[in-house]
Amino acid sequence: MNSIEANIRGAAYLVRKQFRKMRFKTGLAIVLVITILALLSPIIAPFPEEGLGYIPENAVAKARLPPNPVNIFGTDTRGRDLFSRVLFGAGSALVEILIVVLTSLSIGIIIGVSAAYFKGVVEHVLNYLIELFVSVPAIIIALALRLAIGPGLYVVILGLITTWWSWYARITYIYARSIVEMDYVVLARLSGLNSLKIIYRHVLRNTIPPVLVQAVTDMGSVLLEATSINFIGLGVPLNSPEWGVIMLEGLPVITIAPWITMFPGIFLLITALGFSLIGDSLREELDPRMRRRWRLWF
Amino acid sequence: MSINYVVKRVFWCILIVFGIIVFSYLILIFSPGDPAVKWAGNPRGPYASMAIEKAREELGLNDPLYLQIARFVYNVFNGNIGDSIAYKQPVLPLIYSRLQSTLELLVIAYVIAVPLGIFLGIYSALRRGSRSDSLIQAVGTILANMPTFWVATGLFLVFSMSGISLYGRINTRLALSTGFHPITGFYLLDSLIQGNLLVFIDVLLRLLPPALAVAVYPLGVLIRLTRTLMAEALLEDFVRVPVAWGVRRDIIIWRYALKASIPGVIQISGLSFAYSLIDAMVVEYTVFGREGLGNLLYDALNYSDFRLAIGLITVVAVFYLVVNTLTDIIQALVDPRVRL
Repeated sequence: MNSIEANIRGAAYLVRKQFRKMRFKTGLAIVLVITILALLSPIIAPFPEEGLGYIPENAVAKARLPPNPVNIFGTDTRGRDLFSRVLFGAGSALVEILIVVLTSLSIGIIIGVSAAYFKGVVEHVLNYLIELFVSVPAIIIALALRLAIGPGLYVVILGLITTWWSWYARITYIYARSIVEMDYVVLARLSGLNSLKIIYRHVLRNTIPPVLVQAVTDMGSVLLEATSINFIGLGVPLNSPEWGVIMLEGLPVITIAPWITMFPGIFLLITALGFSLIGDSLREELDPRMRRRWRLWF
Repeated sequence: MSINYVVKRVFWCILIVFGIIVFSYLILIFSPGDPAVKWAGNPRGPYASMAIEKAREELGLNDPLYLQIARFVYNVFNGNIGDSIAYKQPVLPLIYSRLQSTLELLVIAYVIAVPLGIFLGIYSALRRGSRSDSLIQAVGTILANMPTFWVATGLFLVFSMSGISLYGRINTRLALSTGFHPITGFYLLDSLIQGNLLVFIDVLLRLLPPALAVAVYPLGVLIRLTRTLMAEALLEDFVRVPVAWGVRRDIIIWRYALKASIPGVIQISGLSFAYSLIDAMVVEYTVFGREGLGNLLYDALNYSDFRLAIGLITVVAVFYLVVNTLTDIIQALVDPRVRL
């Protein structure tokens, strides 16, 4: 109980300290704004149905209008309001990010810690699996999944999880391996504590912080990779509210209507930037190589 | 470093490729639907049942699973995945012929990104805390988070607005009229060998925009990484001592400080080189219409060509493993601290 309290206080201290940094504030502001936009998109969006992909009745008349007071970002090839579509895209972007990062984080941490703690055959087998999935890119896995089970958001999510967990497992393994060798873990083992308790109390607590920071930094890259899977048309079907898909639809008419590919791209860049700003300033706090003086962070 | 290490590493890589092939076969078998139908490419029409029957025989779906897997892995290791449905040719030679185009793109991208990234990183490390330093670092952060395909669409737009058509790998009419023919498959190299300057310029011009788009990510990463490593190295004792001796400033920077940061740079360049292959695949066909691995990816999708997909998985994984192994070996050669 005591140590949990200390951990929470430590984390709160870290976050408070971060607030003095411009970069952290900017990143947090960006992420908050995108989250609010995603949550409120049915209310904010001027044309909610069009944002979800329905084609309006006067589609031909409204097709490819440049940005104007009614349609702030203009309209796409099928006459839908681009602003509404991009707003709804924020929602699917956040869903992709959260599901992929949280799932692969939990799988990765469990496998990484087990590989470091249980030595021998288990370590070798798990390391083999980690190496295996590190070496296949998510897009290619997504291609196989798409051919096997058809289009949908789960192709993107499953494809990304298949590869991302191995990165977290690898990082966790590297940190946990040095912790497992430490005296207090050896003593805990000698005193007959069971393995699960040792892993939870002594190994996991000290490995999770750096891996968590890595996960925050990665959220931007997860988003970029997910969108690029959608951009080649491997993931969600056309007309879905997803930034990659909107850009794919805008590609054939890019010389006539450049705004269709431009606006989702700007949102994509800003969101990815926000996550990476937060992650960077957190990591600077953790990584002894980035600062001169090394201090434990809790 | 020893031969022992290399042999071990190669053996490990073969083991991983084995695992990847098994994994992709498991996707085929355990996904909902009939694997034979998927292997035959969802055929329709009067001869569909024959095609499915042939696919069933090819995979040996009536055998137990371990036999199927063994046969499949044996076939793939022998370079025999079968004929691609989209192209009606053997899969692996097809992929090799396209790999060269993508590799050419990647190499040009890294020829742009690596020196520029290292140079900007050193520049900003030397002026730590100044306005130009924070500007360069901000640019680096933005570049590292740019969606490659978005940059590509932007570049494509700029070039097509200015009236230059950059679609495809080569101007076919120009190539035919000047008697250009591919030898190695790397068009830049081919045109140089044949002394065909016009085609060389044409190919290079068509190569530059996609290469710039692919170069954006490694450039951003290298700017930031080199700056961190250099800033760290500049405070080390092995830099302070020559400063005290009165060694010239540029010698200190280029010979003492840079030498310490090169291994890290090599490591990250190698890692991102392998990953930029994916960026290149996304960009080259969808935006610039170049025939490369991206083209195959696209056709595998449209023809539901599972054989091509498995070929791509294998080749890309092998590429990744080879690049990583080479990076490790180069790093061990450069950095005396790394013992393999």
